Amino acid sequence: MLAAAVSACNRHQSALAPFGEEAASTRALTIVLLVGAVVIAALVAGLMQHAIRTPGGRLTHRQGMRLVLWLGAIVPTVTLFALLAASLPLMRPAPVSAADLRVRVEGEQFWWRVAYAAPGTSPVIAANEIRLPVGRTTMFELDGGDVIHSFWIPGLAGKMDMIPGRTNTLVARPTKAGRYRGVCTEFCGLSHALMAFDVIAMEPAAFDAWLTAQRRPAPPPAGRGAALFARYGCGGCHSIRGVGPDSAIGPDLTHIGSRRTLAAGILPMTTANLAGFIRDPGSTKPGVRMPAFPHMSDADAVQIARYLEGLK
Amino acid sequence: MSKRLKHRIRRLDVSLWTLIVPPTVWAVHFLFSYLWAALNCAKVGEFAKFPTLFAVGTVLALLVIAAAGVIAWIQSRMPGDDPPHESGTDVDRLRFIATSTLLLAGLSFVAVIFTATPVLFLTDCR
Amino acid sequence: MSASAPSSPDALYAQDRTDQNDPAIRAAQEERLRAVWKPPSGLFLRWTDVNNNRVGVWYTLTAFGFMLFAGILALIMRAQLAVPDNDLVSANTFNQLFTLHGSTMMFLFAVPMFEAVSIILLPQLLGARDLPFPRLSAFGYWSFLIGGVFVTGSIFFDAAPDGGWFMYPPLTTRTDLSGLGADIWMLGLSFIEVSSVAAAVELIVGVLKCRPPGMRLNLMPLYAWYILVVAVMILFAFPPLIAGDVLFEMERLLGWPFFDAAKGGDPLLWQHLFWIFGHPEVYIVFLPSIALFAMLIPTFAQRHLLGYPWIVLAAVGTAFLSFGLWVHHMFATGLPKISLAFFSAASEAVAIPTGVQIFAFIATLWAGKVKWATPLLYAVGSLAIFTIGGLTGVMVAVAPFDWQAHDTYFIVAHLHYVLIGGTLLPLFGGLYYYWPLVTGKKLSDRIGRSAFWVMFVGANLAFFPMHLSGLEGMPRRVFTYPAELGIGGLNLASTLGAFLFAAGVLMICIDLCLSPTRPKAARNPWHAGTLEWLAMPEDEDWGVRSVPLIESRYPIWDQPGFVQKVDEGRYFLPDAEEMRRETIITSVIDARPIQVARLGTPSVIPMITAVALGSVFILTTYHLYWWALAGAIATLACVLTWLWTGTAEIPEKPEKPIGHGITVPLYLSGPSASGWWAMFITMMADATAFSGLVFGYYFFWTIHPDFPPADMPDPGVFWPMAALGLTVIGWAATVAAREIHARGQVSAARALLVLAIAVTLASLAAGLAGPWAAGMQPKTHVYPAIVWTLAIWTSAHAGIGAICQSYTLARSLGGKMTPAYDADVRNISVYMHFLLFTAIVTYLTIGLFPLASGGAAA
Repeated sequence: MLAAAVSACNRHQSALAPFGEEAASTRALTIVLLVGAVVIAALVAGLMQHAIRTPGGRLTHRQGMRLVLWLGAIVPTVTLFALLAASLPLMRPAPVSAADLRVRVEGEQFWWRVAYAAPGTSPVIAANEIRLPVGRTTMFELDGGDVIHSFWIPGLAGKMDMIPGRTNTLVARPTKAGRYRGVCTEFCGLSHALMAFDVIAMEPAAFDAWLTAQRRPAPPPAGRGAALFARYGCGGCHSIRGVGPDSAIGPDLTHIGSRRTLAAGILPMTTANLAGFIRDPGSTKPGVRMPAFPHMSDADAVQIARYLEGLK
Repeated sequence: MSKRLKHRIRRLDVSLWTLIVPPTVWAVHFLFSYLWAALNCAKVGEFAKFPTLFAVGTVLALLVIAAAGVIAWIQSRMPGDDPPHESGTDVDRLRFIATSTLLLAGLSFVAVIFTATPVLFLTDCR
Repeated sequence: MSASAPSSPDALYAQDRTDQNDPAIRAAQEERLRAVWKPPSGLFLRWTDVNNNRVGVWYTLTAFGFMLFAGILALIMRAQLAVPDNDLVSANTFNQLFTLHGSTMMFLFAVPMFEAVSIILLPQLLGARDLPFPRLSAFGYWSFLIGGVFVTGSIFFDAAPDGGWFMYPPLTTRTDLSGLGADIWMLGLSFIEVSSVAAAVELIVGVLKCRPPGMRLNLMPLYAWYILVVAVMILFAFPPLIAGDVLFEMERLLGWPFFDAAKGGDPLLWQHLFWIFGHPEVYIVFLPSIALFAMLIPTFAQRHLLGYPWIVLAAVGTAFLSFGLWVHHMFATGLPKISLAFFSAASEAVAIPTGVQIFAFIATLWAGKVKWATPLLYAVGSLAIFTIGGLTGVMVAVAPFDWQAHDTYFIVAHLHYVLIGGTLLPLFGGLYYYWPLVTGKKLSDRIGRSAFWVMFVGANLAFFPMHLSGLEGMPRRVFTYPAELGIGGLNLASTLGAFLFAAGVLMICIDLCLSPTRPKAARNPWHAGTLEWLAMPEDEDWGVRSVPLIESRYPIWDQPGFVQKVDEGRYFLPDAEEMRRETIITSVIDARPIQVARLGTPSVIPMITAVALGSVFILTTYHLYWWALAGAIATLACVLTWLWTGTAEIPEKPEKPIGHGITVPLYLSGPSASGWWAMFITMMADATAFSGLVFGYYFFWTIHPDFPPADMPDPGVFWPMAALGLTVIGWAATVAAREIHARGQVSAARALLVLAIAVTLASLAAGLAGPWAAGMQPKTHVYPAIVWTLAIWTSAHAGIGAICQSYTLARSLGGKMTPAYDADVRNISVYMHFLLFTAIVTYLTIGLFPLASGGAAA
């Protein structure tokens, strides 16, 4: 049964399916630890069974004390010390240079604010999706927004908390292109379970082209959807660069149409999902900060959704 | 070791307080290590390449634990009946506390070495 | 010891007590003992009982009830998680469920259960008639019941805490993000923590001072060693959490920004304080189970436990090391790697003493002739489960692995293996082992073994797959998960396993319910060698017939005619001539008899005090501050009445014979008295809580480049130094009063106490005057907030000091304290020593540190 369960498991959000150097070395470590644990558990269980089955008087006091000294104290001490000495070097973070890509991520209830800062350029603001160049070192700068969140891309590297008032860093280097997923791992409120993001590892050239494209503002507003977006006051929280004033309260929507998912990695990006989420976000994500628009008509919601989908 | 010294050591008082000397030294050394690193990182931004203070503190802790262990070792070998030393006599009670102190000294010695090892591998505040 | 007693009771053993030969005398003694220890009856009065047998059983049943309740919460959670994208319960309900499941299991089951079992067992193990402070046990029980019902009941009003059992701010301190539940958690559980500390005091004094004559440290049953170690751990582990609770509620109720980064606070301070408590907590709930093994394994191996000093090493070593592990719960918080590495090293080192423990048991079973029985099945089975949990514990001690595993279902699996193998199953084993001791009846072996296997399979089916679902990307505390993760199968298995486990628990409950229909078993049905098995199937409330002289670790096995001599009252204190409840107090190391202590009798005061103190916490939750203040005054009145009427009573004669020609005093004061120890131990806990607050001050200094902030007022030098000087005078006057009083100069001592009261009250005012005169605004920044907190803490202690001094003065004036009977003034001297320590640290910190750090004064 276990084997069947494992084979059914995912390849895009798993510490056992790494696409980065850090996660790969941790998986190797995991296998070593696991084998060691299984061997020790089996030995202890076997010894315990033997101890119970042995008739009385076979082990003298002196032999018994020697057993406790060697198997209970000395062997564990040596094993644990070896483990400690082997694991300490793995704690050293990979080196970073000033030329490396920096991605600033800030956790909010329940979404992610993302800013890419390639050296020598102004940052590119995005949300709820992270793209990374394969084979290049990336340094994440992780901030806590409202409450504590934790940033975890299982296939890439270990997790790191995002704590209000502090900036933590995490260095990683993806090795395999593809679509992956990350999640929040620190309990952060009602919709903690619904706070994820897509991770897309790209070939370096494609990444550079994508980042350049992201730098472009949105096309000038046109059509009924854009007008409704303005009329319902969406711009009060959401920025669409090149359209209306900047506001950083909610996720940046400049290129929302190019994202694969909606609502921080929860829903596929379709017109119907978008329209539904705009009218009543709380039914998808309990506790979300975005207000519901119960008086908005279906048609209006669909118009706005189409407009947003067009923002590639 | 001179006979007189050995005799003196055997007459030292033992109690629950002397029993916890070795692990208390470990605890103090552990706190010292943590504060030393945390304060250096928070206030200086790095800890010195040759952490003299840390080395001195560690050697000192090991020496105190070793001394407690030696005293306990001598006391645990007071002449008397055979092991497992579990009768209600003064000498058995003394040998019991001494043996326990000796074992705790062993554990604490190892634990101090465990605590000090990271400094050999990690040399900055990242 | 009285001059008439020989230097060692050992020599006396040879002389048998011929005065006990007459059966008529023995029957008369038994009649008196029975009358003295008769429990109160009546619909209400029966609840005023304080005897350890009754209070221990109430305690155990209540904790068991909370465990079943928390288990049901877990089943609802597992039902919700059985399939992906399920909507059986809402996110809101789910968050309340997991918060309450964890909090209840830890605070209302695991720790209280250990204390409850110890309250039942300890006097039996030590051949004492009761614990030294029976009314304190009763108070602890009622506090536990009130606080527990308050916290768990909240879920029926949809108002349960929902921030996780770790309650990380700012999610839980921001009143716009969290509601009443956070206050219920914080105040309700603080109340329980107080009762846990009270029980710890009782158990420490019990082990150190209430052992039977001859039970030197090397003859103590290992259970008593573990209880001593665990109770001391409680003393140092719970107070930092209490300090954290204080800061937490100050932020929630008053807006003092300890954890608010925008005003200089830091959410990490809470994490430090919580986990300094939280990690030792794991060992606090695990070591008592090992203690149960240490009692039952020798019984079924039919030999002495091998490596007694090694087990003591393991207990003491684990206790120390467990205080160096807390940051391994914070590996992902971004602290410098070198700091993490220290804790990683200690987390691995702590496995060494645990290994020693397990191998001492294996060696004992190997050397002995094993008699297979249901309790042993539980012991061995839970050791197997615990070993797996311990090994995954070593895995997560390796920081790089933990960065992946942390806060995922891998950890859920790890901790449940540890707690099921290290707490729950051992307790069930203990239940099967000790049920005959409590009820005189055995439980069913057939049901017990079937239940074990059902639970064993259930636990592994429930928790083993979680290792995998965690590594496959399933975070903890999620109310649902998407189907695309492909972990639906693993979760379904976990759910099935959880329900299977619950079925096993249900079988045990059925077995317990059938017990009243079964016949009584023989006395000492397992043929064990330790003292607790002196208990008769028809239980007598007096504990032991006579307090034995101990010469072996297993006296029933090793001392010839032991049981008969105890039963015929041929040892010590076989009578209750003055119709008082009594027990023998002995010296700490060698257990020489030094006193016969009069014990508390059934009383309604403990219950009323618990209600009054509970009202303070509960009313504060609802912001009814004036009512809470009234509750506080009522609590003070109750405590003073309790002390006045129930402690340090002057006996009708100075000493009494306990048999074998030994005569000991009926009253002790100073460091050999149990009351003095209780005060000393309580103040150790108090000082630990205080050090948590001081840690806060210096923690803020380390995280801010500019602390104290240059542009903020500070309390200056004058007022803190004045407060310190006044405290020193108050302390000196009290100590002088103690010394002069002992020399018989009662009037001069009274005059000094009056001076001490005045000066201590003045130090209270001076302590607050510093931050007051400087106009420090605690809501604006963490610096004034922490300075105010330290000043208020110290001043409040000065206020209590003045109450103590006034109480002592009143005792002297009321004729309840004389130069020969001066426990009161000696006990408050201990309080004053700690007050002095608190004042020195506080006033040097708030008065002089700003100068030293070159901050505000520069």
